[in-house]
Amino acid sequence: MQLLAPAAAVALLGIPAILALYVLKVRRPRSEAANLMLWSDHVVDRQADAPWQRLRPSLLLFVQLAVAAALALALMRPGLPGHAAVAKTTVVMIDGSPSMLATDVAPSRFAAAVTRAGRLARQLGRGRQMAVIVVGDHARLLTPPTSDPAVIASALDRARPSGQPARLDEAISLANAVLAGRPGGSVLLLGDGHARPSPAGPTPRLGAPLVFERIGRSGDNAGVATLARTPGGEVFVEVANRGRRPRNLNVEMRADGRLVDVLPLGLGPGASAERVWPRLPAGTGVVEARLSPGDDFALDDSAWLITEAPARRRAVLVTPGNGFVRRALELRADLDVTVVEPAQYRPGPFDLYVFDRFVPPGPMPHPALLVAPPEGSGPLPAGPPVDPGPVLPANPREPLLEHVSLRDVHVQQASSLPVPRDWHTVIAAANGPLLVVHQGEPRLAQLGFDVHRSDLPLRPAFPVLVHNLVSALLPGRFESQVFALGAPVPVVTEPGVTSVEVTGPDGGRQRLSPAVGSTTVTDTTRPGLYTVRQKGPVGVRTSRFVVQLQDPSQSTIAPGPRPAVPAAARAPGRAQRGVLELWPWLALAALVGLTVEWMVYLRG
Amino acid sequence: MTGGPARLAPPILGAAELALLSRLHLVHRRPRRGLYPGQRRSPRSARSPEFADFRPYSTGDDLRQVDWRAFARFERLMLRLSVAEEESALNVVVDASESMTLGTPSKWAAARRLAGAVAVLGLGAMDRVAVGLLRPAGPCTPHLRRGAGAGRVLAFLAEVDPAGTAGPDDLARLRWLRPGLTVVISDFLVEQSWAPALAGLRAGRQEPLLWQVLAPEEEVPVLSGDVELRDVESDRRRELTVTPRLIQDYLRALAAHRDQLRRQAAGADGRFLHTASADGLESSMLAALRAGVVRRG
Repeated sequence: MQLLAPAAAVALLGIPAILALYVLKVRRPRSEAANLMLWSDHVVDRQADAPWQRLRPSLLLFVQLAVAAALALALMRPGLPGHAAVAKTTVVMIDGSPSMLATDVAPSRFAAAVTRAGRLARQLGRGRQMAVIVVGDHARLLTPPTSDPAVIASALDRARPSGQPARLDEAISLANAVLAGRPGGSVLLLGDGHARPSPAGPTPRLGAPLVFERIGRSGDNAGVATLARTPGGEVFVEVANRGRRPRNLNVEMRADGRLVDVLPLGLGPGASAERVWPRLPAGTGVVEARLSPGDDFALDDSAWLITEAPARRRAVLVTPGNGFVRRALELRADLDVTVVEPAQYRPGPFDLYVFDRFVPPGPMPHPALLVAPPEGSGPLPAGPPVDPGPVLPANPREPLLEHVSLRDVHVQQASSLPVPRDWHTVIAAANGPLLVVHQGEPRLAQLGFDVHRSDLPLRPAFPVLVHNLVSALLPGRFESQVFALGAPVPVVTEPGVTSVEVTGPDGGRQRLSPAVGSTTVTDTTRPGLYTVRQKGPVGVRTSRFVVQLQDPSQSTIAPGPRPAVPAAARAPGRAQRGVLELWPWLALAALVGLTVEWMVYLRG
Repeated sequence: MTGGPARLAPPILGAAELALLSRLHLVHRRPRRGLYPGQRRSPRSARSPEFADFRPYSTGDDLRQVDWRAFARFERLMLRLSVAEEESALNVVVDASESMTLGTPSKWAAARRLAGAVAVLGLGAMDRVAVGLLRPAGPCTPHLRRGAGAGRVLAFLAEVDPAGTAGPDDLARLRWLRPGLTVVISDFLVEQSWAPALAGLRAGRQEPLLWQVLAPEEEVPVLSGDVELRDVESDRRRELTVTPRLIQDYLRALAAHRDQLRRQAAGADGRFLHTASADGLESSMLAALRAGVVRRG
């Protein structure tokens, strides 16, 4: 046992003080009576004719001494070695994965983890420090090591679940950085076992012992796994039971918020059921499938589908002949593509211009994608042709290269491109950039090689790359789309927009800056329908997108085992034991003692 | 008792209280022989319209008392007896010890008012009334009759200052008590038994009426915590830690003490009642009505 606040031992002086009260003669107020005969049998006789009197044992005295001792001990905060790792420097990792929002532990697993971390912070002994990391798709350091419980409490107030599957890799790297140069550290992971190292790539080794404290009890959960529109215009619903007990569920189908149908389902443990719902009312904009009764994990109990047709866009492809680009553009359902030869090109009201080996005279219309403009022309005047060499992504996290693999892509010949400051390179090669994009207005992208001189059009990456480029150039990239919970939603604004306002499912509003032609909705931690209002010169344009849990693995909320985290060779073998504080029990004992003392006093 | 200058004190009995008393009568449970006609039933028979009993004729009886109708019916000489109404004696003994000064309002004020009221009731019934103090050879008024008696009694009570001690021995030593009703007004808070003194009253053909007056603080003590109690008469002191449990024990002891007084009074063919010093005269008389000590006229 150790004492976390030994200075509070001064409170033990209360014991001799109580004894002194019993030894000292009591100065009593006087009262007159006609006779003492009625009191004679009930006197607590402490008559004394001296300032001091002999100490006489009494139950009241013993109870008061016990209460004083318990209170003094509680103030000294005695503790026993506990199971929590409160080492010299402790990094507390809080799992921020969506399953931590399950409410099988009140009020939620995440809140319970935060409460646990706060309790540990209040139990920090002298010379002990604590850092807090929230583990989501990215690790976030809430506070560096500190021994101030108030600072830690303030940091914990800012803790929010990420909405994305938690990956431990970044968190391990961050914890190693925090513990660097601090011997005697340990890491405490508070979670339900769903935070895992990333399957892709090697997991960094943890330089301190890891203690895993599991939070969560139940694995019962059913959720809407899929909600989609069939080619025939019907609605496809898939409901999965991830728990271990059978569930009888009703799928409430709501059209624009109105309940229009209920589909009863009986699902065994681990089973799923699919239904095709043909009764979608005409003119419905949003369909919601909601499960009832609810369960401990509400995030996947509802799914939304925007059924209204997205606004169609007009694109013109000016080319002497390029089947690859034309086919890639025509794959977009929301795009009406007009193909013209350069000689027949006339500027018109198009939403997107694609110029293949051609640059129109005069001002460049936009948004525009230029493919292999002639040498010396284009927004970025192309230089002489060069052998670009191996092709690589300029940034592995480049959004325009999402799902685009450039492995084994070859380019025979490309124009050398200058890259001014307001342009950024998307695809690079050894001898210069191959694809550059202008940041902000006007929206322009320039591909520095003829696709016929590359094997890129023959690969699946090409239509995906064209799709991403068109999405980035066209306004309304987000419209009617479904985004993952917690993921940032890029909003490409309409030309000339002056204000963008986003209304979340709970009615909360965010104002975004449309200064550079695109912005991002970052607060997408609540599932549901988000409405975007863009105010521009041609009026107000309202569009919607959906945020919901998309990863089916996150619907499995059963607490998992301790994550397998590789430890560094120099990490100490045992985690330092924490301290289980006993003061709450001592305070309770003192309270009981006070009650007994009062009863003894009443009994006389 | 002091004979100091007249004090500007409120009268012991006001006009409203006197009016209340005029509608009440003091109840004697046993008839007593008196010297003069009065309003109390006498054990003696007499010529009066109120029938009392028959008894057989014996030699020497007055033939005028023979009931000739009874003779015609039973063919035996029967004498018709009538009730005699005579005056009776009322002795009012008031405890004027130091302990009667306690209480808010003080017990002495209530005891003095009750003594005056009882005396007024007795005078109203043509009784011979004397009021005295429960002290060794304590002062008292002579046995007074209706007329100026009430004024002398109230004047006597107004000049008394409580002091000293009082107990059953003092009651036994009083020599001015006459056969009749003896009302003792006191707090009766002494350790000694009242039974011998009450037996002495009974032997002197007196009917005792014990009227206990306690202060509200004695009825329900308001003490708490550590206190030092001082007996104002003996100056004995006792240190106490007053708890709710102790208060309950006190109330039980008080009830037991009253039961004992009631039994001792009944053993002497007497009665016992108690009132609080905070009670007004009307409330006290209501308690007396309930106890059968007074009745409505």
